[in-house]
Formats: sequence, C-alpha cells, structure tokens
Amino acid sequence: MTTILEILAIIAITIGTAFTVIGVIGFHRLPDVYTRLHATGKVGVFGVVLLLSATALVTSGAWSKVLVLIALLLIVGPVTAHALSSAAYRLGVPMQSPHRDDLQAMMHQDGRSTE
Amino acid sequence: MTELLLIVAYISLGIHTVLLSYAIWRVWNGENPIDRLLASELVGTLVLSVLVLITLIERSNLFLDVALGLAALSFIGIIAFARYAADRRMF
Repeated sequence: MTTILEILAIIAITIGTAFTVIGVIGFHRLPDVYTRLHATGKVGVFGVVLLLSATALVTSGAWSKVLVLIALLLIVGPVTAHALSSAAYRLGVPMQSPHRDDLQAMMHQDGRSTE
Repeated sequence: MTELLLIVAYISLGIHTVLLSYAIWRVWNGENPIDRLLASELVGTLVLSVLVLITLIERSNLFLDVALGLAALSFIGIIAFARYAADRRMF
C-alpha cells in the first residue's frame, strides 16, 4: 500500500524539480527584471509546493505543517513579485521593448513622480 | 520502493545545489540592484526547497519548521529591501 504513495511522491518530486529548473533557466535567459519576475514566481510557487505535497504524502503526521507552508508560499509569492516590480519601476529600471505602460499615466496623476 | 524515492530525492538535491550555486553567483553580479534582490529571493526559495527535500530524505519534521521560519523571514527581508531600494528611506 505504501508504494502507491511513494510513486505519487516520486512523480511530484520530478515535476517540482522540473519546474524549478525551468524557472531558473528563465531567470537566466529573460531580458529584463520584469520578465524575470515571472520565472522566479514559478519557482517559488510550483516547485516548492509540489515538493511539499510529496513530503506530505510520505512523512507521517506532517500534513498540518505542509498546509501552513503551502498557504504561506501562495501568499508570499505574488506579494514579493509586486513589491519588487514596483521598486524596479520607481527606480526607473528600463523595460525591454515595452508595448504598454499603464503606470506611466497613473503615476503622474497622483503627483508622485518616479524619482 | 523506498530506495527509488531516496534516489530521486538525492538527484533532485544535486540539481538544487547546482541551481543554488548559479543563483548565489547571480546575487553579486546582476545588472541592477533589483535584479540582485531578485536573485537573493531566488536563493531563499531554493534553500527552502532544499530544506523540504531534506525532510523527505530524513523523514523528520524538524526541517519543516526551519522552512517555515525561513519562508517568513525571507519574505519580510525582501519586502524591506524592495521598499528601501524604491524610496531610499527605511520606513
């Protein structure tokens, strides 16, 4: 009976590690900071959450901690990405070939310029 | 069947150490401060997944508490750094 759980854990580990590898490759190759945030967001959410589900399957009695960690990670990921991108935008980090820049109009409306 | 799980866990641990070394190398020579901050966030996340893998291998719940603390503290640190980088004043 335990082998079924372990097979599921093995599959979850491989998929989680694959997501992490893809995320770091994206972090290496993408042109500017804003697109790189997509890559690290994937690593933080998909990679670790799948690994956590694998540990929940295998270790006994750890599922409560795993649920707390998964909830924390799902909150932390987007918030840090948002904070980093707004900090980069305020610092004036250039965008690579931007198609739309909605924040530019909004920014000068409320009087706070980017500097 | 359990040794297959251990083999997969060790392979994944090896891959994570390689990624971790790249992310750490990227911390000090990113092209702008936010990029280096992003690399340090990636380092935090990768260390978190290494901790989770260790709980898989050791089958002890201790490392999950460490991972919880690390996730919370790296989140606060990244937010504080991003805010300081944007406004040049602490709070």
